[in-house]
Amino acid sequence: MADHAVTLDNVVAHYGRTQVLHGLNLSVGEGELVSLLGASGCGKTTTLRLLAGFIQPTSGAITVAGRDITDLPPHKRDAGIVFQNYALFPHLTVADNVGFGLKQRRVPVAEREARVKAMLARVGLADYADRLPAALSGGQRQRVALARALVIDPPLLMFDEPLSNLDAKLRIDMRVEIRELQRANRRTAIYVTHDQEEAFSISDRVAIMHAGRIVQLDTPEVLYTRPVNAFVARFVGFDNLLPMTVIARDGDAVTVETVGGTLLTLSLGMTGPLPDRFLVGARPEGLEIVSAGPETIPGKTHTRSYLGRAYQYKVDTALGVLTANAPLAHDHGQDSAVGLRLNFEHCCILPYEEN
Amino acid sequence: MPTGKAAGTRCSGSNLSHSPSIIRRLSVIGPWVLVLPASLALLLLLVLPVAGTLMESFGNPKGIWENYRLFFSSSYNRAVLIRSFWIALQATAVSLVAGFFGAYMIANSRPGLKRVLLIVSVFPLLTGVVVRSFSWMAILGRNGIVNTALIQLGLIDQPLSLLFTQGAVIVGLAYLFTPLMILSLVGVLETIEDDLYLAAESLGASPFGVFRQVTLPLAVPGMIVGSVLVFTGSLATFVTPRLLGGEPQMTLATLLYQKAMISFDWEAANTIAAIMMAVTILCVFLMGWLVRRATSARVAQ
Repeated sequence: MADHAVTLDNVVAHYGRTQVLHGLNLSVGEGELVSLLGASGCGKTTTLRLLAGFIQPTSGAITVAGRDITDLPPHKRDAGIVFQNYALFPHLTVADNVGFGLKQRRVPVAEREARVKAMLARVGLADYADRLPAALSGGQRQRVALARALVIDPPLLMFDEPLSNLDAKLRIDMRVEIRELQRANRRTAIYVTHDQEEAFSISDRVAIMHAGRIVQLDTPEVLYTRPVNAFVARFVGFDNLLPMTVIARDGDAVTVETVGGTLLTLSLGMTGPLPDRFLVGARPEGLEIVSAGPETIPGKTHTRSYLGRAYQYKVDTALGVLTANAPLAHDHGQDSAVGLRLNFEHCCILPYEEN
Repeated sequence: MPTGKAAGTRCSGSNLSHSPSIIRRLSVIGPWVLVLPASLALLLLLVLPVAGTLMESFGNPKGIWENYRLFFSSSYNRAVLIRSFWIALQATAVSLVAGFFGAYMIANSRPGLKRVLLIVSVFPLLTGVVVRSFSWMAILGRNGIVNTALIQLGLIDQPLSLLFTQGAVIVGLAYLFTPLMILSLVGVLETIEDDLYLAAESLGASPFGVFRQVTLPLAVPGMIVGSVLVFTGSLATFVTPRLLGGEPQMTLATLLYQKAMISFDWEAANTIAAIMMAVTILCVFLMGWLVRRATSARVAQ
């Protein structure tokens, strides 16, 4: 994609003396929805606030639709923002809330009313135009906030954890709705969330952030199967990180030694160069519980929890406590000696790092 | 030992709910005993005198409204009444404008600074009314700071007579009551979520647009409460109009003083007091109604 709808070029930001963004680079394509995903304090909300103009970067440049907006005040940026707590104006009716942005743009009354009406119909609130926000449910308020952001035809839509105040069922409905509206309007969007499932389900690409940097920016599919490092791997559900040292390699088959001296022969399905030491990230279903023997990591089950589709075991091994799922049919009980076998369908290879 | 004490309390508590005892009876009478001194004081020092004042104002042998007829038939009294209202209204307007900017600044400052600014703005309330009014005499007098400064700057030749004018009374009253306005407004402005300002800005409202379309309408309840406090206070205050307005700027309060203490016309004084009371009560009710109207719709359920 030649011209990006949104670019952040080496953006550095501080709160007081604390540096919160360390040279952030991000390009979002036209009509693309990119999520910023990370724990609180990772810089995702700061990035959004920079884009909105609520805070100024220490250095770096921000462009939206080819225009450098780094020094523009918020009210000249044409950003449509959906806030976490909706931020609806409590003294204005639903229609006036939605029409607020058009009013600031001096859109003639007749056109304004028509656009507000059409937008309210679109989000299913046509009958609520004259209500005050206090008379609406959480989901309805969310729709008003969405309509208010969309009606001004912003080149960039921004969502700041928009669903975190809704209950679980509504959250899933609303994220489908947000995605449909964003797609139908072909809006470029930045979506901030700390919920991995939400980010993956709604986004074209997801930027996983940590300590003021983007650790990995990829499609959900790539992130889910090929995380670039242990941090991302843990974030997407590779609960077990197993350090391996290569002993011998024969084409596809690699003999490795892991902590505790266990030797395993891995068939990695790859022929490229492999470092001497690396990590295997394994999801709970990537560790099969079998009877102890060669090609397994010996361990002892201790806590079993019922997940519905499987049992999850905590297994004490020389590598620490590992998490493994086993089919319901295989009840391994507690305190029994077992072996763990790697199932590479649910594993990934990661660069080595100390925990 | 704390645990033993707690167990003991629980024990007597269960006794209390099971058997009718002296403790139980005491727990019914207890609260009444506790409020008795204050209630008695209120009854003796407020309710009875006020009732006496009201009765006296209706006590003219020629008819219960006679005192009021006498009061309103005097053009001088009517002028004083209108002047009192007019002065109170202007003082309210001045302190609304001054107080709003002060309160806006305080509400939007850092927590530490906010506390300092609040204390500073309320500090005048801690000094006596007389002292504060005298200080304005020193400022506005013929040889006061204002006149001296203007003469030295060569802007005027003769000292202006600033004292004993309506302006002096208004300035004095606004100065006296603006802290109340600030307190009322800070309370309301602080409850406005920051995200509302950000939302308005991001939707294209200029800083002034945000102020006019978000801050101002949401501050209305505080403006009403503050205005009523300043208005009723200005109407009732005696010292400031007496010292800064004097004879030419007679108000209801100073007229009341004159009737009671100089001409010993207690019936007229009682009537003025009753009128002032009625106006104040009316204002408070009006305020309650307006605030309810302004807020009822938008309070979250």
